[in-house]
Amino acid sequence: MDPLFIGLLVAFATILVLSSGIPVAFGLGLVAVGFLFAFEGLDSLDVMAETFFSGLAEFALVSIPMFIVMGAAVASSPAGKDLYAALDRWLNRVPGGLIISNIGACSIFAALSGSSPATCAAIGKMGIPEMRKRGYPDGLATGSIAAGGTLGILIPPSITMIVYGIATETSIGRLFLAGLLPGLLLTTLFMCWSLYTAWQNGYSFKDQANKYSWREKFEVLPRIFPFLLIIVGVLYVLYGGVATPSEAAGVGAMFCLVLVVVIYGMWQPRKIWNILSDSMKESVMILMIIGASALFSYTLSSLYVTQSVAEYIAALDINKWQLLIIINLFLLVAGFFLPPVAVILMTAPILLPIIVQAGFDPYWFAVVFTINMEIGLITPPVGLNLYVINGIVPDVSLPTILKGALPFMLCMVLAIAILCVFPEIATWLPNYMMGGG
Amino acid sequence: MNFFIDIVRQLSRACGVFASILIASAIVVVCQMVVLRYFLQESTVWQTDYVTYALVAATLIGSPYVLLIKGHVNVDLLPHYLSLPARKILALLASIGGLVFTALLAWKGYEMFAEALHGGWVTDTIWELPLWIPYLSIPLGIGLLSLQYVADILALLNGRDMPFAMDTHSAFEGE
Repeated sequence: MDPLFIGLLVAFATILVLSSGIPVAFGLGLVAVGFLFAFEGLDSLDVMAETFFSGLAEFALVSIPMFIVMGAAVASSPAGKDLYAALDRWLNRVPGGLIISNIGACSIFAALSGSSPATCAAIGKMGIPEMRKRGYPDGLATGSIAAGGTLGILIPPSITMIVYGIATETSIGRLFLAGLLPGLLLTTLFMCWSLYTAWQNGYSFKDQANKYSWREKFEVLPRIFPFLLIIVGVLYVLYGGVATPSEAAGVGAMFCLVLVVVIYGMWQPRKIWNILSDSMKESVMILMIIGASALFSYTLSSLYVTQSVAEYIAALDINKWQLLIIINLFLLVAGFFLPPVAVILMTAPILLPIIVQAGFDPYWFAVVFTINMEIGLITPPVGLNLYVINGIVPDVSLPTILKGALPFMLCMVLAIAILCVFPEIATWLPNYMMGGG
Repeated sequence: MNFFIDIVRQLSRACGVFASILIASAIVVVCQMVVLRYFLQESTVWQTDYVTYALVAATLIGSPYVLLIKGHVNVDLLPHYLSLPARKILALLASIGGLVFTALLAWKGYEMFAEALHGGWVTDTIWELPLWIPYLSIPLGIGLLSLQYVADILALLNGRDMPFAMDTHSAFEGE
């Protein structure tokens, strides 16, 4: 049978199986095993355990649970509240300072926790009621936090980037650097839009601002600086060529655990245990998808699907930008339904050779890919951030949140367009710091 | 039947505890490795292997617990739009699909484990860890995962569980 046709069958079967509500990991595994069995017989299943196991037994993957522990430690502590308080106290004299503080707090917290829902929950719990109290429209207050939360998968250290690095055998250090400036670009775009729309709605920035004394401004700093130091430390260790991402993440995890004990007095074994057990759940879930994806891509390549799709697209008479638009639309739709990690693992190994063949930079593409996934986080039907926010402020309806988030989605699309015109935003920093390019 | 479901659930919880301990141990070992390697300039023998395999084992052995608490992320769009009886049928189908895959994986994993044990396979690193030890986590973890699936299917059939545990939502790291 034509491998391309098999590829279509696989795609169709995957959609069908996953829509049954089966866990993504087992659904992917089932499709992979089903196709191996149907086309290559029972004997071909002998390698399934080994493929699954070796997909997981990689030292680079160690960084995933470590970063998750780091994030869980921060998310379980009141660090988010302090971060928010610090930015609010320092920026409240700036016009629109409150919304700028919120988006800024989201981006920093997102970097620390690496988790979008955790960021929305931590910053949103304080930020949204405060913004509403000071008269910002509901849609803007909720939409800005939903969008701000998505920054976590772009700004380093990002678990999504680690997964991309492993799926495509690209450098995780470089990927982190590539995400930094585009992350700041998105943060800036979000802030600009928020200010513009608040101003458009006739919101006056001067009234109702609280005044904070210098004492209040300084007293919050000692509690948040150590966490910022950890991020900077982890990144320094990574780029100084001192240690591998897994080692940096492991030490970062230990430091974060120590910090929440020292700063927030969370020494009770129960609390530490909760952090560990939460991290275990998250990392088991992600790593099981990674193991199953190893099986999935093994099936695709042993049935020559991967190779044929690449050849087919190379033979198409379209220019690289048309190709990019098609890929973007495809990723966008996939991101509407599936978690970022699953989309990356299933499609990045197939897409990357095509993208590189067309003359795009693999690290630049990682950033574009990730922004597409961010959009999926704030769009229905599975836009998790929307539901998290709806949980925080149940009196704001989902359509209002969605409407508030829509302009931020457009900001992300704009960011992709800007990145297409100026790819250096993603590629300059890794090339400058790590050479080559 | 309820007795069986309870026993399996207890086993899965124990697996969750064990997996969390493995992750904690991996953090400690990574830090020890970093201190040895970068501060004391010594070479490390077993740490890299230990950390890698401990986390594979944590993943495989933790998986039944994560299934128990419905923590494996899924696309629950279609179930949302179905009536309760249809939802139940779909949940059964999805669970049976999951069971087919996990049972196959546990079986093939057991074969791999047995082969490594009898063949005396070791890792190709200086530590030369017998490979059956990490391989054991597949038949053990995925075997229990399959049992947890059986228990879930039974609980669905006798009405003890709601299909897809629809009222719970869990956050997802990495999104």
